[in-house]
Amino acid sequence: MWKYLLEKEFKQFFRDPGLPRMALMFPVLMMLVFPFAVSMEIRNINLVVVDGSRSEESGRLIEKCTASGYFRLVSVCDSPDEAMRLMDDNKADAIITIDAGFSREVETGTGFPVGIKINTVNGTRGSIGSQYLSSCIRMYMQDRNPSPDAPASPAIDVADRYSFNANMDYKLFMIPALIVIGITMITAFLPALNIVSEKETGTIEQINVTPVSKSAFIICKMIPYWAIAFFVLTACLLIAWTVFGYVCRGRLLWLYLYTTLDIVVMAGLGLLISNYSSNAQQAMFVIWFFAVIFMLMSGIFTPIASMPEWAQTITYFNPMRYYADAMRSVYLKGSTPADIWYDAAGLLAIGAAMAGWAIASYRKSSD
Amino acid sequence: MEENVITIWNLTKKFGNFTAVDNISFDVRKGEIFGFLGANGAGKTTAMRILCGLSRPTSGEGTVAGYDINTGQEKIKRHIGYMSQKFSLYPDLTVRENIRLFGGIYGLKDREIRVKTDAMLGMLGMQSEKDKFAGDLPLGWKQKLAFSIALIHGPEIIFLDEPTGGVDPETRRRFWEMIYDTAEKGVTVFVTTHYMDEAEYCDRVSVMVDGKIAAMDSPAGLKSGYHARNMDEVFRIIAGRAEREE
Repeated sequence: MWKYLLEKEFKQFFRDPGLPRMALMFPVLMMLVFPFAVSMEIRNINLVVVDGSRSEESGRLIEKCTASGYFRLVSVCDSPDEAMRLMDDNKADAIITIDAGFSREVETGTGFPVGIKINTVNGTRGSIGSQYLSSCIRMYMQDRNPSPDAPASPAIDVADRYSFNANMDYKLFMIPALIVIGITMITAFLPALNIVSEKETGTIEQINVTPVSKSAFIICKMIPYWAIAFFVLTACLLIAWTVFGYVCRGRLLWLYLYTTLDIVVMAGLGLLISNYSSNAQQAMFVIWFFAVIFMLMSGIFTPIASMPEWAQTITYFNPMRYYADAMRSVYLKGSTPADIWYDAAGLLAIGAAMAGWAIASYRKSSD
Repeated sequence: MEENVITIWNLTKKFGNFTAVDNISFDVRKGEIFGFLGANGAGKTTAMRILCGLSRPTSGEGTVAGYDINTGQEKIKRHIGYMSQKFSLYPDLTVRENIRLFGGIYGLKDREIRVKTDAMLGMLGMQSEKDKFAGDLPLGWKQKLAFSIALIHGPEIIFLDEPTGGVDPETRRRFWEMIYDTAEKGVTVFVTTHYMDEAEYCDRVSVMVDGKIAAMDSPAGLKSGYHARNMDEVFRIIAGRAEREE
């Protein structure tokens, strides 16, 4: 009996005008387009310099900033007013003002008369821009005073060193998270729509009068999507490796293990959605609702630690939080289930609750 | 000695405060064509869903094909066929694949399915359509195919829920010929319909009004009992007493 049902589902899947193409396009898009699109790295910050000093020293400082690659020098003005006007016209994101006495004060070491103004209409761009700018100035100062011959102040070298993602590469950070989003879509939302569409056409009724048990029917429906989820996961990892040269730090087995756990949760969710929706429109709305909450409250785009307390509480009920954390930990840090047992526990708890509810409501709806 | 394949006592189904089926009792004999009539909303679909094991009764007892309607639903499903008013084969599977799927679901072996498929296609005259998608067939053919597939596992009873909705009179007549052939082989046919000329073809009919069975007899018996010329008049007299809105 299972053989025939599975055969039906796979045939229908491959005959669908959109689904097989989507399964192929999904990993390609996710790996080759989205990592660039969702990057939080800020580049091309428009920089205006007010150079009152016009000296060799100020020239060197400006060069240090532009050489970093993050800034685009828009103009070098003489007066602060002129620079401010450029910012008002939205042509400048940052203004660096160098006073007339810059060269002399730097020489003598009495001061460092430099001011920074940042346009923070876009908060992220503003705060990251100011960090970049101050680190450029710091680098300039280090270059000026390598200070081996100035033991007056004990040399404490404060240098940031980033673990696990040494170059703060945002793409590397996003790749496991994008896989999470893709797998969730495929394993929760597509089967839900599929079941609802059988309700709409009435074919599910025909199956219900046969001896096929409902659980067998549903599981056969989900198996193709599980197969596709593992296909997409594998394809994404391969693309990340061949195109970007990223490899998983941890054992691949753990990625697949956590994906399997997530699939269990998502199967419950998908079934739940299809139980409560009698047509595709309703199902789409519910899916949209969950998709948005899952993504925004998962820590994929914004760190959970910087959310307010009450919002952090909500994330504990979000399976994507655990799955995304697990995938990032394994992929970037090489964690093992012993390190991230709590992600497995979270997924299992939500999965059990979801599956229990789904099965209960499924029985009830058939009375 | 006539044998009953369906026996129902005091069957009631309530949805909240609404009593869809109100304490009905009836028997259906083996091999007869039993017409189940009633206006829209009279409760016939609800009653039929209970008989097919799709829904549980609120109260009442009964057996279908020898199995209890309260406890033996899964066993009932093995011994009945069902064809709904909506075309419910898979439109994106071909004729042959649909036959194979339902054959497989009822536990037929690959070899049995092949034999049955050839026999069925030959009988329906659909040999050349076997690789067409079921969704692309004309409505009359879809219904004949759905009917044949509902019989694939040799059920004792076949339930037909308004099987001839929306087809022309000629196709309907040929469909009824298939029903007669089936009944002659000893399969009991339980059919709901809106067409009163079809009611005339039945061995016995029951008329449901407001969830109750208002009349049950052979078409000839009903006509003489209500002094009517045809079933249409009988139905108007009985269903005219309905109080429930649709």
